Amino acid sequence: MVTPDLTNEEDIAKLIIPDDLPDGQPTLTAYIEAKVYDGEGHVIQYRRQPMRSPTQWLLALMAIPILQTFQGPSTYQAVSFLVNVLGLPSQQPTYSPSTYCCNGANILWDFSIQLGSGNHAFSPTLNSLAAPIANGSGAGQLSYGPVSVTYSGTTIYIYQTVINYSSTTISVTEIGLMGTIYIQFQNTDNAYQNTTYTYLLTYDTFSPAITLPPGAIATFEVVLTFSG
Amino acid sequence: MMIGRGFEDVNVKMPDDIFDASSHEPTFNVYLTAVVRDSEGKIIKVHRQRSHSPTANFIALFLPLSYFTNNNVSATITNVSGSTYSFSQALGDNGISIPYPNTNFPGNAPSYFLMIEVGSGQRSNPYSAYSLAAPISNGSGAGQLAYQSATLPSTIILKGNTAYFYITQTYNNISGGTVTITEVGIIVYLTLVNYTNRTAYNIGNTLIWYDVLSSPISVPNAGSVTIYYAFVVNP
Repeated sequence: MVTPDLTNEEDIAKLIIPDDLPDGQPTLTAYIEAKVYDGEGHVIQYRRQPMRSPTQWLLALMAIPILQTFQGPSTYQAVSFLVNVLGLPSQQPTYSPSTYCCNGANILWDFSIQLGSGNHAFSPTLNSLAAPIANGSGAGQLSYGPVSVTYSGTTIYIYQTVINYSSTTISVTEIGLMGTIYIQFQNTDNAYQNTTYTYLLTYDTFSPAITLPPGAIATFEVVLTFSG
Repeated sequence: MMIGRGFEDVNVKMPDDIFDASSHEPTFNVYLTAVVRDSEGKIIKVHRQRSHSPTANFIALFLPLSYFTNNNVSATITNVSGSTYSFSQALGDNGISIPYPNTNFPGNAPSYFLMIEVGSGQRSNPYSAYSLAAPISNGSGAGQLAYQSATLPSTIILKGNTAYFYITQTYNNISGGTVTITEVGIIVYLTLVNYTNRTAYNIGNTLIWYDVLSSPISVPNAGSVTIYYAFVVNP
């Protein structure tokens, strides 16, 4: 016998999350890149740092392709993980009279990047930045462009461009990769509708801050690489 | 405004560790554990290793909406038989996406976790694997294992900054001889739906995760093995 039997969750946790394995490549590595351009297009700041702080929400989102959504082939209820962790409905109410297959409901998700000017201690249950920088052109605001996502092999690139249209310098001290889940369904009027659920997938800070003078454009990139 | 003048005219310094993936802070790890028991239920071997291989199917299914809609592209899913299907999330009519349980009975097309499958072969490129090389069948015949139901997580377990969940499945050896496992994979039964033409695509058994064991595991006759896949952030 090489080890006592597994009698409780504590024993199982010690066994299945080992801290004594040789160093090896993590299943997912990630980094953040920020470039700031002045009004003439010159790069005036460049920062590239490992991403260190995924939250439980990233773990939960990654669970969807693994656990899928239904409890079984004839159990039309969501797996309890989705309900308990992500707060998704166990069953999406939808247009009942329909006799058509497959137009009831489906699940999709998207990523975005949120910037902030605060800083708070990391916790895996964090679900927001300390001080998100709002989208706009007013004082302390940044104008967010559309998110862009590309993919190559085992790497996913998520880009966000922001412009400082305000008259003051804006300091970015925190960054989060946000995830939005859409449950799309046919409503009682037999029209498409969706309900959204938003989560903070990763939380990282910049020290020193990344500063955007008036008129500056910045691109923030989060790169996720699976070991594959 | 001109964007993208070279970096050479500014004071840009790359962190020394940035290009070496092995020196990144671990952010997300997956561990594979196998606990082998003898005929009396005593643990006789524990095998632990890092799991490295989300397959191309997993990554395709994980891609966000913006990837598909902004680039007007689709991804390819390959089932265990090698048949390929298009996957392209979109809001509204034109997407092909994962169904969600709902109250309209005919509107349900289940997509669900199927099993942790074990095998006796080995794929050389786990990322592009779409099936185990030599799956071990469910049964009591020679070389077979009796698959028990998988146990899925109902929540995430938190311990300090570490968060994890795990999936586990047990296999009994009633074959009459020793059975050796060399590969492990997570299989889902995948269905994709298209709103536009009200069609369900029964992709069927699809390999999401795949690992070759760092050393073979022998399960004695009348013994069992329990596989744990633990998914962990901030380990």
